[in-house]
Amino acid sequence: MQDNQTNTDVILKVEHLSKVFSSKKTHIRAVNDVSFTVGGGETVGIVGESGCGKTTLGRCIVRAHKATEGRILYRAGDGKEYDLQNIDKKSMQKIRKEVQMIFQDPYSSLDPRMTVFDIISEPLRANFKDMPKEQIELKVKEMAAKVGLNPSYLKRYPHAFSGGQRQRIGIARALVLYPRLIVCDEAVSALDVSVQAQVVNLLKDLQKEMNLTYLFISHDLSVVEHISDKVGVMYLGKMVEYAPSDKLFAKPFHPYSEALLSAVPIADPTVEMQRIPLTGEIPNPANAPSGCFFHTRCGYCKEVCEVQDVALVEKETSHFVACHLRDEISLQGIPMEV
Amino acid sequence: MSMDEKPSVLSVENLAISIKMDEGLLMPVRGVNFKLYENETLGLVGESGCGKSLTCKSILSINEKKCNQTGTILFTDKNDKTINLLDLKFNSKDIRNIRGNSISMIFQEPMSAFSPLFTVGHQMAESVYLHITKDKKQAKDLVLSSLRKVGISDPEKRYTQYPHEFSGGMLQRALIAMALLCKPRILIADEPTTALDVTIQAQILDLLKQLQKDYGMAILYITHDLGTVAQMCDRVAVMYLGRVVETATVQEIFQNPLHPYTQGLIGSVHKIGRSKGRLFSIEGNVPLAMNLEDRCSFYDRCIHKDRNVCCNTEPQLTQVGDGHFIACYQPKAGKRSGV
Repeated sequence: MQDNQTNTDVILKVEHLSKVFSSKKTHIRAVNDVSFTVGGGETVGIVGESGCGKTTLGRCIVRAHKATEGRILYRAGDGKEYDLQNIDKKSMQKIRKEVQMIFQDPYSSLDPRMTVFDIISEPLRANFKDMPKEQIELKVKEMAAKVGLNPSYLKRYPHAFSGGQRQRIGIARALVLYPRLIVCDEAVSALDVSVQAQVVNLLKDLQKEMNLTYLFISHDLSVVEHISDKVGVMYLGKMVEYAPSDKLFAKPFHPYSEALLSAVPIADPTVEMQRIPLTGEIPNPANAPSGCFFHTRCGYCKEVCEVQDVALVEKETSHFVACHLRDEISLQGIPMEV
Repeated sequence: MSMDEKPSVLSVENLAISIKMDEGLLMPVRGVNFKLYENETLGLVGESGCGKSLTCKSILSINEKKCNQTGTILFTDKNDKTINLLDLKFNSKDIRNIRGNSISMIFQEPMSAFSPLFTVGHQMAESVYLHITKDKKQAKDLVLSSLRKVGISDPEKRYTQYPHEFSGGMLQRALIAMALLCKPRILIADEPTTALDVTIQAQILDLLKQLQKDYGMAILYITHDLGTVAQMCDRVAVMYLGRVVETATVQEIFQNPLHPYTQGLIGSVHKIGRSKGRLFSIEGNVPLAMNLEDRCSFYDRCIHKDRNVCCNTEPQLTQVGDGHFIACYQPKAGKRSGV
């Protein structure tokens, strides 16, 4: 299974991944031919409107869903590369220790009938069946301290905690196995701004300390810009742009990215916002438009966009975009001041 | 002072709400003061649990029965008559005449604000029957024109559809259309865009601004998102633990915030394009509003705290500039945006 050609730094490589949800009449392509790579120790942000398939993508990577097509190549801690799509049960058990997830809603992702200790220790009990109790206790306490939970709170139940603290419990649960890759699905969206700042800082600190790789899924562009090294923009199941964060935000190449960026509210009343309005709503993924999926709402749309499919192309070094007009139009980003 | 001469449509004075619980008396709102002037948008900003939603619910008397409310909420109607809304019983005829008519509200989650059992048109027409006309044909016309006004295409079809057939953004538009049916003097918008995507959020905010111009109404905009506040509001009131700690114009709040809590809130928002250092975060959590000591309520989390100055009694709102009020004993100027 080992592939000698891939760069050893790459920890995750998603190739032509698709996920179709089918019912009797409709087939919804929630993720449509998505490819990207994630380097070790990087944070990759995935942004897009609700229904664009970003959560489904994250869930496919942790194998909560089995993707319909494509490959997910994961380089494990032992240096071997596994295809998470075709993997035997035993190897998958090993991978599960290395790939963890932090969930969106700190209220529904914790079992109200388990104490905090039970919640954080569950991954240990499930994965290391013969680990002695004392060691489990030690590890849980250590992790609780790391995420800023008072160890004396471990006997309490989740209802006794605020949203920010619950999210810390969720983070501790994901980290207790010392994973290498963490999928954060809207990990801070449900929190207040001041608490959001605390959790974002915590995630960054832990990344440095434990050399973690994050796949950070969020609809909040300012948080994504803050935390990510690379950003992928998704629209209707497709990746329309994938680039280093500062490049994408300063000078996007896809009209959808431009519109998204222009809609971000700026916390400064002196700035007059120049919004690029998107007409209409996101189309139904069961009945996706022809050609470029975005042409129904795109202000730059030309004839070719309506008929011809478009693929992700590397326009500049490591800046990928899926747009027919990538060489013809010049788009506005957000001015960077460093 | 120029501010005082402007006619206010709503004036909240010393509003306090307490709830009796087994553990003791919970005081989620402890003396809120603010004024809402004609044609302006006032942003009520604070973290969850600071009492902003309870405050606006008490304006419409739709708080739960267990909430004990004191203080005054003065509302001035079209004929310049001023009434204290807190004097009205929650089911009295008078408050029912105001609710949804001259003061209406947009709720946070459009999905749960509509009943799934009735068509959207039916639910919208209800407020027309109550306040404007009993005539079915007229009511339907009013609803349709209101739906058109908020940019919903094909309103005839939408009128007969159920909420589950709408997308989130559409439903929020319908909710706004419903709130505007009776051309209210005051629109209370309780986090109207938190459940929506950025692109839809931008559309809804533009729509609200446009409608405010057209109808000449005052908007009380409740949120914890400072980004939208900067774009939407004329003035801002920052709430912490059931009290207003700072009010000023929106320019003043962002350029010269004086209360350490406001400074912390502004500092914890990351701006795209700025340096990616650590975000400033306010340490600790909002304490439970029960058995509070008589001192500055922000004392535990404040970085300027001084035992000798801050621990005596709770600071009152005092004026520090033109229309700028703060409740802090030792305000220090300066924005804090990342360390």
